[in-house]
Amino acid sequence: MVASSVASVVVVGGGIAGVSTVTELRKNGYAGGLTLLTADPFPYDRPPLSKAYLSGAKDLESIALQAPEWYAGQRIDVIRGLAAALDPAAGTVTLSDGRQLSADRIVLATGGWPLWPDIERVVRGLLDRPPAGSGIPRSTTGIHLLRSAEDADGLRAVLLPGARLLVVGAGLIGAEVTSTARKLGCEVVLVDPANPPIAAAVGAQVAEWLHSLHALHGAETVTATVEKVESTNAGVVAQIAGEASPRTFDAVLLAVGMVPDTAMAKEAGLDVDNGVVVDDHQVTSHPTVLAVGDCARRQGHRRAEHWEAAVHDGARAAATILGVDAPAASAPWFWTDRYDLHVEVVGEMHEPEGEHEQVVRGTLGEPPFTVFTLRGERVVGAVAVDDPKAVRAARRMIDRGVDVRAADLADPSTDLRQLLRSAR
Amino acid sequence: MTAHSGNGGDSTGIRVASVDDIPEGEGIAISSDITGTDDDIAILRKEDGTCWALNDTCTHETASLAEGWVEGDDVECPLHSSTFNLRTGKVDGLPATRDTVAHRVEVRDGEVYLFPGERP
Repeated sequence: MVASSVASVVVVGGGIAGVSTVTELRKNGYAGGLTLLTADPFPYDRPPLSKAYLSGAKDLESIALQAPEWYAGQRIDVIRGLAAALDPAAGTVTLSDGRQLSADRIVLATGGWPLWPDIERVVRGLLDRPPAGSGIPRSTTGIHLLRSAEDADGLRAVLLPGARLLVVGAGLIGAEVTSTARKLGCEVVLVDPANPPIAAAVGAQVAEWLHSLHALHGAETVTATVEKVESTNAGVVAQIAGEASPRTFDAVLLAVGMVPDTAMAKEAGLDVDNGVVVDDHQVTSHPTVLAVGDCARRQGHRRAEHWEAAVHDGARAAATILGVDAPAASAPWFWTDRYDLHVEVVGEMHEPEGEHEQVVRGTLGEPPFTVFTLRGERVVGAVAVDDPKAVRAARRMIDRGVDVRAADLADPSTDLRQLLRSAR
Repeated sequence: MTAHSGNGGDSTGIRVASVDDIPEGEGIAISSDITGTDDDIAILRKEDGTCWALNDTCTHETASLAEGWVEGDDVECPLHSSTFNLRTGKVDGLPATRDTVAHRVEVRDGEVYLFPGERP
């Protein structure tokens, strides 16, 4: 058991960052009071919201981050409610219903909101970012956002065979929903001004191929912006830039990114700059308040919005509270699934310029394959499609800084594990 | 990779593979038809050469742990990188939250014998 001087911790937010924080605290011997505040019925995993949960293949219970009895067994009080105010000096969080929680350390894991695109809209009754868990539907007019299970429920209700869906934004969420909706028999138009989208994350070659899958599976892709969205009695009318006439859809999904939920932190006087600013230990500008996950940004770093980054934030925050060293950092990693393909990305996918070189293992576009980015003889990033061992090897190559030859990586007969071994 | 043979379960276990059939750090899946268990069983070989057995399906989502990455005392799921302890089946890393089942394995004369349902 760890002898921590911190007697009590309140974690505000039941997403993966919040649950990781409490999980890591208990796993590493924290014996003090532990409270998890969540706006949702219980903490659940968000990646399935655009895939298995959206399609109906999984229900909410099956995507719970921990079984309900786990929290009781770990002596974690799970409280459902909305945090309304934070007082760092007093160590209190006040809920929207007036209840107050107090603790020696408060961990903000408030996540974020879907970003509203800059589209002219005439939407009767559409509420601007009502809080998740408030019971206020965000999709009453055929215009949908996707962040919570409640959002996914609203979207799923309209994804009937033949339904016309406009997806604005071809990033990870937009692409996954397009794939899910096509599987459900919807007609989908996917609009994004980038060509190809997500090139910065996976490199232009893979991005182009991934984007081409939409058309291959019957979705229409349009490289443009959406100028106007209007909810009418006949459906949602959208004007796509460059098109002569507006088109009518049964539903529109706005999936153009997210903004960190920092309002409470800002009102409490914490430093906020595209996220609650934290140091390398997840500590905010007030020493008793920490922040993790999508709502936080480590000073000197870009704000990460991925699942595993939130897990690592939780582990770092727990280590800080326990007064022990944080786990070793690893290369950033995320996954996405579309059209029954599993795509994993690790490290940074720099374009081949200057010292960077890209190497394809296998044949690009014929899964399984992996594209590695090297700087000199060091792997700095990899994108793998249905090639899990290659991406796991790549991650270790990045973490360990081993030297490899491009020709060896490119040869599918090369045992990547052997490459790692020989480089030790 | 899947196993090619079995000789029925008794006190000597089920012969499921030759050790040399399993590259170090990798695994093979043994069909539940052979093991008589509800799930297929993954035989996983550590880099030190020892063999271990876990229920094959990750408790998070349907993925074969035999296709995972074995390192140290863990196997990492090929889909979302949940990790499980080879000796105990305990989950060592999210997103999986439920343990899996570990089974006893013996290696005799270069052959791997599996004892389904017996703890290591």
